[in-house]
Amino acid sequence: MEEIHADAYYLPPGFEDRLLRIKKEELNRGEIKLTLHIPEVTRATVEALADYLKKRRERYLEMLPLQQIIHVLDEASRRWLDRDYHFRRMALKTITAVTGFSSEMVAASIDAEMESSLADDMWKAFQIEIGNPWYLDGFQFNEKLGGYTRAFGPELVVSFLSENIPALPHLLFMRAALVKAACLGKVAAGEPTFAPLYLKTIQEIDPEMAECMSVLYWTGGDKAVEDAAFNQADAVIVFGGVETCKSLVERIPRRIRVLLHGHKMGIGVIGREAMARQDIEGLAMAVAYDHAMFDQKACLAPHVYYVEEGGEVSPREFAGILARAMARLESSMPRGEITASEASAINQLRAKHEFRELNGDDALLYSSEYGTAWTVMYERDPGIFKPSPLNRLARIFEVEDIFQVLSVIKPLGPFLQNVAVAAGDSREKEFMERLGALGVTRITSPGRMPLPTMMWHHDGISPLASLLRWCDVEKEPLCNTQ
Amino acid sequence: MVEVSKELEDLDREILGFVRRGVDQEDPELFNRLALKAFSLQYAQIPLYRRYCDRRGISPDRISSWEKILPLSTDVFKAADLTLVPQNTVRTFQTSGTSGGREQGRVRYDQAGLRLMDETIYSAASAYFFPDGIKALVLVLAPPPDKAPHMVMAYGMSKLMEYFGLPGSRFLAGPEGLQINTLIAELRRAESEGISVAILGGSFGFVNFFAYCLERGVRFELPPGSRCLDAGGFKGKSREITCGEFLSQMKEVLGIPEERRVNLLGMTELASQFYDTGLRNNWLGRGTGPREQARDRSAKANPPWTRTMVVHPETSEPLPHGEIGLLRHFDLANRGHICAIQTDDLGRMVPGGFEILGRAAGGKARGCSLSIDEITRITERA
Repeated sequence: MEEIHADAYYLPPGFEDRLLRIKKEELNRGEIKLTLHIPEVTRATVEALADYLKKRRERYLEMLPLQQIIHVLDEASRRWLDRDYHFRRMALKTITAVTGFSSEMVAASIDAEMESSLADDMWKAFQIEIGNPWYLDGFQFNEKLGGYTRAFGPELVVSFLSENIPALPHLLFMRAALVKAACLGKVAAGEPTFAPLYLKTIQEIDPEMAECMSVLYWTGGDKAVEDAAFNQADAVIVFGGVETCKSLVERIPRRIRVLLHGHKMGIGVIGREAMARQDIEGLAMAVAYDHAMFDQKACLAPHVYYVEEGGEVSPREFAGILARAMARLESSMPRGEITASEASAINQLRAKHEFRELNGDDALLYSSEYGTAWTVMYERDPGIFKPSPLNRLARIFEVEDIFQVLSVIKPLGPFLQNVAVAAGDSREKEFMERLGALGVTRITSPGRMPLPTMMWHHDGISPLASLLRWCDVEKEPLCNTQ
Repeated sequence: MVEVSKELEDLDREILGFVRRGVDQEDPELFNRLALKAFSLQYAQIPLYRRYCDRRGISPDRISSWEKILPLSTDVFKAADLTLVPQNTVRTFQTSGTSGGREQGRVRYDQAGLRLMDETIYSAASAYFFPDGIKALVLVLAPPPDKAPHMVMAYGMSKLMEYFGLPGSRFLAGPEGLQINTLIAELRRAESEGISVAILGGSFGFVNFFAYCLERGVRFELPPGSRCLDAGGFKGKSREITCGEFLSQMKEVLGIPEERRVNLLGMTELASQFYDTGLRNNWLGRGTGPREQARDRSAKANPPWTRTMVVHPETSEPLPHGEIGLLRHFDLANRGHICAIQTDDLGRMVPGGFEILGRAAGGKARGCSLSIDEITRITERA
């Protein structure tokens, strides 16, 4: 039994933390006994901390050139990509213990998240969203305006971080820093350990920048604390469920910018021309990966893969090939531990599906030999959307024509985030147009569903530009610019 | 109607005899023998079940203990018909989930199977709800069976009314919901005439009735001998209350003390029901300390013709006594479909029976993907 301690908070080193009392909570999983240090946060803590973060931002981050900020964030990502990096090694243990994800899964998550968080990605994200990144550093000549333009970030961003997608919370700190805002993150109970470790990395690289960042935990819905945070914030970013988003939005003052990332879902669609025998193993591996990554818990994950009939390999046969790919991924990147309700949902669904198969319906079930590690369920498209209970349960629906999918998913439009498409022929462009019109905000290839870039208009918005306020100079050229 | 085999008739006679012996006549050997016999019939006559068992290498000649009988998950009844003598169906019950697109499970009964169910209802209620042997004015906070022919609870409660109800017993729910004014009038009459009342209903029917009375200051002092039987639980509804709150509201509104509240676990997939043991033990003068009372309240008893075990949610293997897992029930009175039923109820074995800790299905997968429930709500709205 290995005993480790982890903080569910990060305070800037210069912050007088006498206001904070820490309680300890123990949890055991496998060979790890983890003691979580959890702050007891009050209204006063949040007020003092927010005030501190804003002052430190004014002294440092606000004036820091974008190039330098990107350099620090890039360096942080690179350190986390190093397998021997001490905080990474620590996170592998703490996240595994808290969430039940396998450590292979956590490692893959960290790699995926950090590889898409390098300098080049940040520059490109700015170029896509605002054209010229240098607007952040000072007035830039704007030809179309015939004057000068500059962008200002908020003073303080309060972020409600997501749970259970290991190594995702860093993105919120990155986005805040990129617009030169201080950031107070509220971690979710489901995984509070990664964000504090990430900020310790920032502290290693640029202690002054780390003075503008903090992580706290409080029980969601604590009105006194949340109202204090909102009173201090200029922008609030929320990752959370439908209920969380709704209850928070009702309480956030109007003057504050709010970016919502509510729970979403994904699907995959494969056309007959993409079902060529020659590439089928690779395609199956890609589809298996889409289900396996984050154990299908991410909003990017597919609930259903629609496969069109009439290709070289039939959807039925594909289900079997996919099953073998799922089994291979289970050995290289095992699924994590799941709760009793999650396991029960899978077992009930498997049993129901198996009886349909036994009954002679056009249905097939493939499943891991023991336990609920992976499941592939094939059936003909039932014409209604049937979600997956997740945790690596792949549903393959055979359709006559991929365009039939559109009417089925239409009611889900606003919640449909991510679609993998491989039509394999000239219908693809039109199909994607139709998906976009329904509300889909990201279209990608099978095997890339869990791997969005920083350049993605996350949930259909410009995550950086949405935080900015613009100032334009509509007058004669400035006299003292260089 | 088709002729049933001599074998089935014999089995029915034996199970019926077992049930009639009441809840104090444990006979593990008889239980095991009858369970294996029922399994053997079901295996032989329900082809889907046989194929399901064959895939797992389980057949009547390979097992010698009821624990090895392959259970069916409750959701399977939504996808397949697993009836022993489907041609003889006289009654079909459906699982709840009446809203639009959700699938309903169906369980069919032939005449003899229904007879068995009736007998379990009588036998178990005699022991756990009317151990004192009285009859009462039975008031049911549910629709009558002719208005809800597929609702097993309505059927069961109609039987309780038939067996234990005084003249004037009645159902007090219709299409518009609870007939609250009639209920209040009936309770007032019983109160003034000194007639013991037995109120039966879903747990949430009670919760709503208590809330109504508390809001308006309506109070009763029902005669001694009055009692409540509530089926289901308090989780996952708009108005969540704890068991303690329920008991104190029952005392305040109806004047019924906590030891005369009995909670019932009934399932469409099971012919038998599981009662908690508080009222019976109190009547018998067993274990009247506060700790024992609390235990009796949470423990559901297995009548001798049933068994319950707790299995690991991931592997489906049996768990040691006391550990939390999924409840699996065995019910000889289920001979008309499948005796072994795997539920998605979380629970554990406790002294005196088992305890139910909530529905596993109520939880959602962690993470930021929409849950099945959320997606179902969205698609049903459309």
